[in-house]
Amino acid sequence: MRITSNAYDSSLVNQLSQLSAQQYTIQNQVSTGLSVQAPSDNPAAMENTLDYQAQNAAQTQYSSNISTLQSRANSVYSVLQSLQTITSRAGEIATSAGNATSSQSDLNNYANEVNQLINQVVNAANTKDPSTGQYLFGGTASATAPFTTTTDANGDVTAVTYNGNSSVNQAQIGAGMTATADIPGANTGSSGAHGLITDSQSGADLLNHLISLRNNLNAGNTTAITATDSADLQKDENNVAYQVANNGVVQSQLTTAATFATNASQSLNSMISNSSSANLVQVMMQLNQTQNAYQAALQSGVKIMQLSILNYI
Amino acid sequence: MQAQMTGVEVAGQNLANVNTTGYSRQRVDIQTSPDVTTGIGPEGTGANAASIQQIVNTLLNTQVQSQQSTSGYWNGQQSALQSAQNALDEFLNGSASTSSTTSATSDSSTGLASQLSGLFSAFSAVATSPTSTTARQALIGQAQTLATTFNNVSTQLGNLKTSLNSSLNDNLNSANKLLSGIATLNQQISAAEFSGGTANDLRDAREQDLENLSQLTNITTSTETNGSVDVSIGGQALVTGYKVADTLQTYDAGGGQMLVQTATGGQALTLTGGSMQGTIDARDGTLATLQKNVNTLAGTLISQVNGIHNGGYSLTGSTGANFFNGTDAATITVNAALAGNPNLIQTSGSATASGDNTVALQLAKLGSATQNALGNQTFNDNYDATVAALGDSLSTANTQVANQTAVTQMLSTQRSSVSGVNVDEEMTNLMAFQRAYEASAKLVSTVDTLMGDTLAMKT
Repeated sequence: MRITSNAYDSSLVNQLSQLSAQQYTIQNQVSTGLSVQAPSDNPAAMENTLDYQAQNAAQTQYSSNISTLQSRANSVYSVLQSLQTITSRAGEIATSAGNATSSQSDLNNYANEVNQLINQVVNAANTKDPSTGQYLFGGTASATAPFTTTTDANGDVTAVTYNGNSSVNQAQIGAGMTATADIPGANTGSSGAHGLITDSQSGADLLNHLISLRNNLNAGNTTAITATDSADLQKDENNVAYQVANNGVVQSQLTTAATFATNASQSLNSMISNSSSANLVQVMMQLNQTQNAYQAALQSGVKIMQLSILNYI
Repeated sequence: MQAQMTGVEVAGQNLANVNTTGYSRQRVDIQTSPDVTTGIGPEGTGANAASIQQIVNTLLNTQVQSQQSTSGYWNGQQSALQSAQNALDEFLNGSASTSSTTSATSDSSTGLASQLSGLFSAFSAVATSPTSTTARQALIGQAQTLATTFNNVSTQLGNLKTSLNSSLNDNLNSANKLLSGIATLNQQISAAEFSGGTANDLRDAREQDLENLSQLTNITTSTETNGSVDVSIGGQALVTGYKVADTLQTYDAGGGQMLVQTATGGQALTLTGGSMQGTIDARDGTLATLQKNVNTLAGTLISQVNGIHNGGYSLTGSTGANFFNGTDAATITVNAALAGNPNLIQTSGSATASGDNTVALQLAKLGSATQNALGNQTFNDNYDATVAALGDSLSTANTQVANQTAVTQMLSTQRSSVSGVNVDEEMTNLMAFQRAYEASAKLVSTVDTLMGDTLAMKT
C-alpha cells in the first residue's frame, strides 16, 4: 500500500494520543487506588459497590442503635439491683414479723422501715434515663413520672397510681431484627412485657403489697402478714428475679448482634474493595508497560520522520 | 518544454498542498502530439500536456461520508451522556492506601445513593431514641441534604436538556451553511469545467463540505451529468444542482422536544446518523429516562414517607403534617415547620404516649421495603439500577467512539494511499520533469546551432 507523508504523521499522532490516554487512565487509578470511579467505567461494579455501601451504612446504624440500647439496659439493670435488695429485705421483714415473739413496738419499727422501702421503690420506679431525660419505666408514655402517690396526714403512702402504659419501644439491631431494653412499670393485661412493679401475669404488685404489709404491721395483724403478705412479697421477689434474668438475656442478645454487625461491616468493606479498588501491583505494571510503549513510539516516530529525500538533494 | 513545465507546475502544486486537508493529488497527463504525414511516413511532433487529473477513488469518498455520519452520531451521544453522568454526580472517591494489605477505601458521600441510605439510618436513630432532640435534628439535616441533592440533580439535567437543544440548533445552522456552500460549488464547478478539464481544487472543496455535512447528519448524494452533486436527507431533496431546494429547521414536537424538519416543506425528518441525531437520541432516550427515573424515585419517597408520617403524633401531640413537601425531584423539600421545630416530627403511634416510636420504626423499615412503584425494588436498589443504566449507555458510546476512531484511521490511510501526496514521489517527479525540460531545451539550442551553421554556409 502506498504510504503518503501525512498518512504517516496522522497515524503517529493517533498512536501517541491513544497511549497518552491510557497512561492518564492508569495513573489516575494509581493515585486514587480505584479501578472504578464513574458509572461508565464499569456499570455492574458500580451498582454492586453502591449496594454494598448502602448495606454498610445500615450495619453502622445497627451498631449505633445497639450501643444506645446497651447503655439503656445498663441503666435498667442498676434499678433492678436496688429492687432486688428491697424485695429481699421486705420478705425478711414479713417472715420476722410473722414470728409470734415480736412486740408491737417491734412491729411499728418494721412499719417505719417498710415506709422507707416504699419511698425507695417509688423513687427507683421513677428513674430517668440519664441520656434522654425521659422516664425509664413509664412504657411509651415516658414524658410523665410513672408512679404518683397519695399520702395521708403523716406523710405515709396510702395509694399509688400508675400513669404510664404497658407498651415498650422496639429498636432495629439487625436486618429484620428488633430488640427492646425497656420494662413497663405495670402490665395489668394477660400478655406482653412483664410489668416491673405491677404484673398480672406473675401476680406481682410490689407497692400495694408493701402498703398492705405496713398497714398490717401497724395494726399488729401478724396472721394476715403470714397468710397473705409473705406469699405476695415472694411473688414480687420472683418477678424482680425474672426481670434481672430477662435483662441478662437482652444484654447477651445485644452483644451478639453487635459482633454480627461489626463482622458484617468488615465483610462489606472487603466486598467494596474487591469491586472497586485497583490492584496496585497490576496497575503499576500496566503503567510501566504503557510508558515503555509511549517512549518507543516517540523515539521510533521521530527517527523516521526525520528521513526525507530532501536531505539528499 | 511547455509540457514538461506543466509537469513541474503540477508537482509544485502537489508539494505545496502536502498538508492540506482533503487535497487530492493531481497528475499531469502528457500525451504525444498528433503525427504529421511526411514523405517517409508519419512523423511525431513531440508531446503536450493533455489534461491535469485528480487521483480520487469515489467509492472510498462515499465510504468516508457514511463513516463520518456514524462517527458523528456516537460522538454526539458520548458528549451528551458524559454531561448527564456529570450532572448525576455519582462518583466514587478514594485515595490510595500506603499499606500493602488494604486497598483504597471508597465513598460516594455526595451522591444520592449515600444520601438515601443516610435518610433511613437517621430514621432508625430516631426510632431508637424518639425523644432525643439530637437525633431529630440530625434527621432534619439529613433529609434537607437529600432534598437539596434531588433538586440539584433535577436542575442540572434540565439545564443539560436546554444546552443540548441549543447545540442542536448550532449544528443545524452549520448544516444549512454547508448546504448553500455545496450549491455554490456545484455552480462554480460546472462553470469551470464547461470549457473542458476538471476543476480539481473546487471538487476537493466540495468533497470537504460533503464530509463535514455527513458528520452532522447522514446524507444521500447523487451526481448529475453536469458534475453537480445533489444532496438529500431522509428522502427530502435539499440541494438540487445549483440551488438549495430546502433548508433544515427545528420544531417543537410537543413538550419542548425539538426535532428537525425541512423549512419550506415542513416535512419532519428522521435523521439516520450524524451528531444531530446522536444528540436527539441521547436527549430523548437515555437522558429522558434518567430524568423520569429520578423523578419517580423522589415522588415515591415523598408519598411513602408522608403516608406513614401523617398518621403519627409528635412530641407535642400534633398530627397530620407532611414530612416532605413537593411532588418530584425538582420540588422536594422538607416541611419547614418540622425543620424549624424538630419536636414536631411525628414519631409516635399513640396520641397519648409521646415516647412511642411506632411511626419512626415504620419509617426506618421503609429503607428495606420493596416499592411497587419502583418495580418492586427498594429505593436504593432502584437508584443503583438507574445509575448503572446510565453507565451502560455511556460505556457503549465510549466503545463505539473508540471503534469509529479506528475505522476513521483505516479509511483515512486507505484514501491517502490513493490521493495523498508523498513528498519523496513528488520530488522524484520534479527531478524527472526538470531533466526532461533540460533535454528539450538542449534540443532547441542544438537546432539553433544547426540553423546558425546553415546560415553561415552562404557567407
